Amino acid sequence: MFQITRHYLLVLAAMALFAPSGAVAQPAQPAQTANTCLTCHATLTDTRLATPATLFSGTDVHRERGFACADCHGGDPATGDKARAHDAARGFKGVPTGQAQIATCARCHSDATLMRRFAPKQRVDQATEYATSVHGKQLAAGHGNVATCASCHGPHGIRRVSDAKSPVFPTNVAATCATCHADPRHMAEYKLASGAALPTNQFADYQKSVHSAALNTGNDLSAPTCNDCHGNHGATPPGVGAIANVCGTCHAVFAQKFDTSVHKQIFDKGCVECHGNHAVLKPSDAMLGVTGKGICAPCHTAEDKGDKGAAAAETMRTQFEQLQAGIDQSHALIGRVKNAGIEVSDQELALREATTKLTLARTEMHGFEPTLVAPIIADGTKIVTAVDAAGEKGVGELRFRRRGLAISLGAILLLVVALGLKVRQIDRRSHP
Amino acid sequence: MVQRVVDWLDERIDLSGIRHFIAEKGVPIHTQEVWYYLGGMTMFLFGVQVFTGILLLLYYRPSSAEAYESVQFIVTQVEFGWLIRNVHSWSANLLIALAFAHFFSVFFLKSYRKPRELTWLTGILLLFLMLGFGFSGYLLPWNELSFFATKVGTGIAGAVPLIGPFTLRLLRGGDDVTGATLSRFYGLHVAILPAITTALVLAHLLLVQRQGMSVPLSIERREKAGERLPQMKFFPNYILRDVLAWYVVLAVVAALAAFYPWELGKKADPFAVVPPGIRPEWYFLAMFHTLKLVPSHVLGFEGEHLGVVAFGLVALFLVLVPFLDRRASRGERSPVFTVLAALGLVYLVVFTIIGHYAK
Amino acid sequence: MAPVEFNRRGFLDALLAVGFVSTAVAIAYPVSRFLIPPASGEPATASAGAGKAAALKRSSARIFKFGSRPGIVVRTADGDVRAFSAVCTHLDCTVAFKPDTAQLWCACHNGTYDLGGNVVSGPPPRALEKFVVNLRGEPGDEEIVVTRG
Repeated sequence: MFQITRHYLLVLAAMALFAPSGAVAQPAQPAQTANTCLTCHATLTDTRLATPATLFSGTDVHRERGFACADCHGGDPATGDKARAHDAARGFKGVPTGQAQIATCARCHSDATLMRRFAPKQRVDQATEYATSVHGKQLAAGHGNVATCASCHGPHGIRRVSDAKSPVFPTNVAATCATCHADPRHMAEYKLASGAALPTNQFADYQKSVHSAALNTGNDLSAPTCNDCHGNHGATPPGVGAIANVCGTCHAVFAQKFDTSVHKQIFDKGCVECHGNHAVLKPSDAMLGVTGKGICAPCHTAEDKGDKGAAAAETMRTQFEQLQAGIDQSHALIGRVKNAGIEVSDQELALREATTKLTLARTEMHGFEPTLVAPIIADGTKIVTAVDAAGEKGVGELRFRRRGLAISLGAILLLVVALGLKVRQIDRRSHP
Repeated sequence: MVQRVVDWLDERIDLSGIRHFIAEKGVPIHTQEVWYYLGGMTMFLFGVQVFTGILLLLYYRPSSAEAYESVQFIVTQVEFGWLIRNVHSWSANLLIALAFAHFFSVFFLKSYRKPRELTWLTGILLLFLMLGFGFSGYLLPWNELSFFATKVGTGIAGAVPLIGPFTLRLLRGGDDVTGATLSRFYGLHVAILPAITTALVLAHLLLVQRQGMSVPLSIERREKAGERLPQMKFFPNYILRDVLAWYVVLAVVAALAAFYPWELGKKADPFAVVPPGIRPEWYFLAMFHTLKLVPSHVLGFEGEHLGVVAFGLVALFLVLVPFLDRRASRGERSPVFTVLAALGLVYLVVFTIIGHYAK
Repeated sequence: MAPVEFNRRGFLDALLAVGFVSTAVAIAYPVSRFLIPPASGEPATASAGAGKAAALKRSSARIFKFGSRPGIVVRTADGDVRAFSAVCTHLDCTVAFKPDTAQLWCACHNGTYDLGGNVVSGPPPRALEKFVVNLRGEPGDEEIVVTRG
C-alpha cells in the first residue's frame, strides 16, 4: 500500500510539473526538450514501431522547427513509462488516419496566425482544398482507402517540397501518385461514373510523354507533372471545357488560337482530342490530315468532297512539309557552298527566320483556319527562295573562281611553250 | 639597264668571281639529264610555300577557338584568300611528291656516292623535314579530318619503345591533342622547321654548286676512260630550262587548285567520336597501312612497336646509304642497291594505293 | 636568211616578255589585294559590330549579326546599352523587344525574358546568353561592339 501511495504521489508530481503539455484542445506549442517517445521507439525490434522514430530523427522539417511526436500523436513525452506515455487522458491519439489525420495536420497548417510564425508565405487552405478533391470527397463518403496528407508527404521524415528527396518534389510526384493509381488492386474498388474500372496506365503513359522527358532529362522543373494539371490538394481531373484552359496555362498561344477555332465548340476534350492527356508525345506535321498518319481521319474524311476540314488539313500539312523540305534543301546548299569557301552567314541568319516562320505557322494552325496559316508559310517560302538564290550565286562564284584559274593556267601553259621554243633557239645558237 | 646596275655593283664588290663562275659553269648532257630538274622544282615549290605561308600568317590564328574560323575568314572574306590557301595546300602535296621523286632519282642514279655523301645527308634530312612540315601544317586548319589524323599520327609516335610516351607528350603538348598541340605545331611549322630547312637548303645548294652535277655511273666510266662529254652552259641554257620546269610545276598547281579546290571541312570537336575510316594524308598512307597490317603480337613484342622500330631502322639505313654502298663509291655497278631502291619504290606505291582503297 | 631569223627571234622575245609580265601580274595582283584588310576586319568568333550607338534610341532595340546567329542590342529607358543572343532558348526562334513592357519576347510560344536576359514566363528553359557591350570610336559617333563574355 505504501508503494501504491508512493507511485501515486510521483504521478501527481509529474502531472503538476508537466500539466500544460499533452493537452489536445490547446493550440499547439513546440514540445519541451524531453522526448522519450524517440528514445523508447528507436530501441524497439518491431520495424513498424521503430521506423517512425528513425525517420523523425533524420531530416524532418517539423523536428527541425522544434516539434516532436506528441505534437501530432498526443501522449506524454516526458515519461519512460509506456502506459503513461500512451495515456489517452494525456491526449494520446495513436496513429491518426482518414479524417482524423486531416484534422491533425490542419490543426496547424490551416492556422494562419501560427503558420505566419514559421512560413509566412505558405498557404493555409490545403484542408479546404482537399475537401473539394476526389480524394476528399471519397473520404467524406466513407471510402478510407484514398490519399491523405501522409500518403504523399510521408508521416515522418517529412522534407520540404523543394527538397529533391521529397516524394512531392516535381520529379518524384508522378511516382508518388502512381503508388496507388498504377496499382490495379488498389484502384479496383473505385469505378468511373459510367461503372467502368478506373484506368491504371496513366503513369506508364506519362513516362512516354515530352513533359516527363523535359522534367526528368531536360532539367526543366517548370514542365508539368500530375499536380500541375490535376491540382495539388484539390486533385481532380479537369472537366469538359476546362482542358484547354489547363493546357493553356503554359501553352498560352495555342490555347488562344484554339479558342477562336471551330473545334472549341466541338471538342469535348479540347487539346486532349489530338494530343492525348498523359502520353503527350512530340507532335509532327504528319499528324495533320486524313491520309497517312493524319489523326483528323475519324471525324473528317477525304472521300466527302464537301468536307472543308479534310481539305484544309491536307493543304496545311502539304504547306508545312514543303516549307520544311525547302528549308532542309537550302541548308544543304548553303552548307556545301560554305564548305567550299563562300561567306554565307547572312543566308544562315535568313534560314533561321524561315524556321521561325514555320514554327509560327504550326502555332497558327491551332486556329484551324488555312487562310491565316497561308501568309506565314508564304513569308517563309519567300525567305527560302531568296536563300536559294544566294546559294546559287555562291555556286556561280565558285565557278567563276575555277574559270579564273583555268584562264591563268592557259596563260602559264602559253608561257611554257614560249620558253620551250626559246630554249631550242638558244641551244641552236650555242651548238649550231 | 640591268648592265648598268651590274657594273655599279661590280665597282664596289667585285663580281668577277660570280661572273667567271656563271660563264664557265656547265651541266652535263646525257640521256638521264631530265632528272636534274627535280631538285630545282622542289626548291621552287618550297619557295612558293614560304611565300604563301607568310601571306597566310597575316590572317591565321593558332588557337583552338579561332583557327578554323580564321581559315574560314581567309577563304571567304579576304580577297583571293581562297587562291592563296588553295595554292599553299596543293603546293604542299606536290612538294612532297617532287621531294620523293628527287630522292628516288638520286637513289637510282647513285649520285650519293663519293664525293657527294654530304649532299645526300643534307638531302635526306630535308626529306624528313618536308614530311614534318606536312604533318605539322595539316593540323593548322583545325578541322575534323586534321584533328583525328594528328591524334592517330602522334599516337603512332607514342608507340616507339622507350622514348615513345615522352615523344608523344612532347609532340602533343600534353596527353591529348588540344589547343596546346596546335600552338606547338604552329611554332614548329612557321619557325623551327623553316629555320633548320633554310640552313640545310643553303648547305645542300652550296654543295651542289661547288661539286657540280653528278653523272650516271656508266657515263662516269666513259669520262674516266678519257671521253669528253657534251656540256651545256649553266647560264642561260640550263637556267632557262630550270625556269621552264618551274612554270610547268606552277601550271600543275594552278590546275589542281582550279579543279580540286580545298574544302574547309567541319570544325574539330575533341569530344566527338572518331569518324570511321580516318587516315592520314597520302604521303603517310603506306606507313600507316603497314602498321595496320602488322599483327598485334609478334614473337612476344607488340606489333606496333616492332613496326615503328622497323621504320626507324629504315630511316637510319637511308641516312647511311652512301657509307654502306662501297661499290658505288668505287665507281662500280651496285645492283644490290638498285634492287633495294626498286623494292622501296614498289612498296611505297603499292601500299599507298592499298591504303587508299582499304576500308 | 638573217632578216627572217631576226624577226622570229624578236617575236619570241616579245612573246616571252609578255608571258613573264602577265604571269607576274597574275601573281602580284591577287597578292596585293590579299594584303589589303577586308571590310569585316576579323573573324566574328568573339566579337561583332552592332551599329552606331547614336542610332539606338532609348527603349528600343536592334537585331545584329553575331557570326551566323542573331543578337539583339537594347537601350533601356535609363539609357543603358545591353546585348544578348537573340536565339530563344526554347525552340531557336528570334526574340524581339517589347517597349511597352520593357521585356524581350518570343513570338513563337510567348516566351518572355527580362532585360537581364532571365526568363520571366513561358516555355524557355534557360536565360538568354548575355554579351559584353563596349563603345568604340570618336565620341558622338561611337560604334557598339559586342563581345562574348
